[in-house]
Amino acid sequence: MKGKRVDVEAIRAAVKGFLAKEGRLAFGFVESNGGVRHQIQRTEPRDLTLFNPYFDLNGVLYLRRFFSKDARILAILRPCEIRAYMELTKLTQVERTSIIAVSVDCFGSVSSKEDLKLPLGEPLALKSALEASGKVRYACTLCREPRGVLGDAGVRVDAEGKLWAQAYTPIGEEFLELLDSSEETAPDSFAIAGGRPGDRFQSDMETFSKDFAKCIMCMNCRDVCPVCYCIDCVFQGDEYVPKGDAFINKVFRMGDTALPLGKEIFHFIRMYHVSQTCVGCGACEEACPQRIPVTKYMKGTSERLQALFSYMSGRSFDEAIPYLTFIEDELKDAED
Amino acid sequence: MSDDAKRDGVEIVGFACSYCSFKASEMAGSLRLKYPEGVKVVQVPCSSRVDPAFVIKALFEGADGVFVAGCHPGDCHFIKGNYYTRRKMAGLKEMLNTFDIKNRLKLFWVSAAEARRFVEKVEKMYNELKDAGHEGKKG
Repeated sequence: MKGKRVDVEAIRAAVKGFLAKEGRLAFGFVESNGGVRHQIQRTEPRDLTLFNPYFDLNGVLYLRRFFSKDARILAILRPCEIRAYMELTKLTQVERTSIIAVSVDCFGSVSSKEDLKLPLGEPLALKSALEASGKVRYACTLCREPRGVLGDAGVRVDAEGKLWAQAYTPIGEEFLELLDSSEETAPDSFAIAGGRPGDRFQSDMETFSKDFAKCIMCMNCRDVCPVCYCIDCVFQGDEYVPKGDAFINKVFRMGDTALPLGKEIFHFIRMYHVSQTCVGCGACEEACPQRIPVTKYMKGTSERLQALFSYMSGRSFDEAIPYLTFIEDELKDAED
Repeated sequence: MSDDAKRDGVEIVGFACSYCSFKASEMAGSLRLKYPEGVKVVQVPCSSRVDPAFVIKALFEGADGVFVAGCHPGDCHFIKGNYYTRRKMAGLKEMLNTFDIKNRLKLFWVSAAEARRFVEKVEKMYNELKDAGHEGKKG
């Protein structure tokens, strides 16, 4: 495959060239205050960095409901973020032609709550430091696609730690044109291999109740989920979680009621609603104030449900989300 | 409807398509076919109207089982609604299977003429749940 030899400086120069025109924005990672954070830049790509080993949230959350055709955004993000973006394009939650989505090889990440110094500049040193730390997040250890092979273009790390930029779609070519170096044949082997699929997830109600006993229904997991996109969430009103009189009536009807009311329903409904689009980024677990292993359930069930339709969230722009399409001759054993 | 009497029986919530399965349940009534009284049928305009959220809500708020009944594939009044239902319910079943409670959801295809089939299916489900006891029942 063709690609361009690049380094961080070359990418910064390319982003600078991109921002020179009117109505352009760059979305990426920036080193700040000892960590790495998302930033949207309008004028100059200061401190722009490619790798972010500290996971705080999935940045595509901020691209949701971006429909403007006048502005253009160059997003250089993690593969899981680009996957979430690809799912949102299928759900028409974001304007695809306005965004150049560039995925960067990811070596995994630690929680942003960790106080851990990592070598940000050197890809291979970062890789071994992460492996040695033993603090890589659960979601990252079971990542299905850590390679930058998704979206419109990608930045890959080869076995010697050199960076290569590749384009996958016509929109991605635009990003490649911004880079100064000439096109060469990219190497075949890169620093990271494909995903590491976990075992088939199996649980039961007892374990589920035990794990979620601490849930306080803050709904942070819903709010930070990049693919949980409904504006009118069913949990917004009083229908699913009654309040006041309706709540007291319910207690009279149901008998002893554990509080907060409706947490099993909440997590089950969310688990189902994001089942085909969940990218397993682990933002939900990161946001949980009670340290509930939410990702284990979300990722586990979603992988099983996606396997049912041989689907993988964020694998390609053209694959339709299973619930939005059908084949007439299928699922013969669905009826009981 | 005293609480104790309610708790002895199995409660089933059914979502039935108004063009076929709900008609079948009405016809079962006019044919004097009996089905268990714990079965509560909710009329929906099409089986694809049933968001799995409804099923989950019913299951966690006291129902022992839930069934979704629609027209046979290919016979949908809205041309393709039940194909979507089939995919959604297959997904939901797989999810309940993950938590070992698969037997609490059923999907039936019942046309408006199949009153007897409707009663048979519902009775079979009722007896299965009754034999299995009230495992995992809330409240």
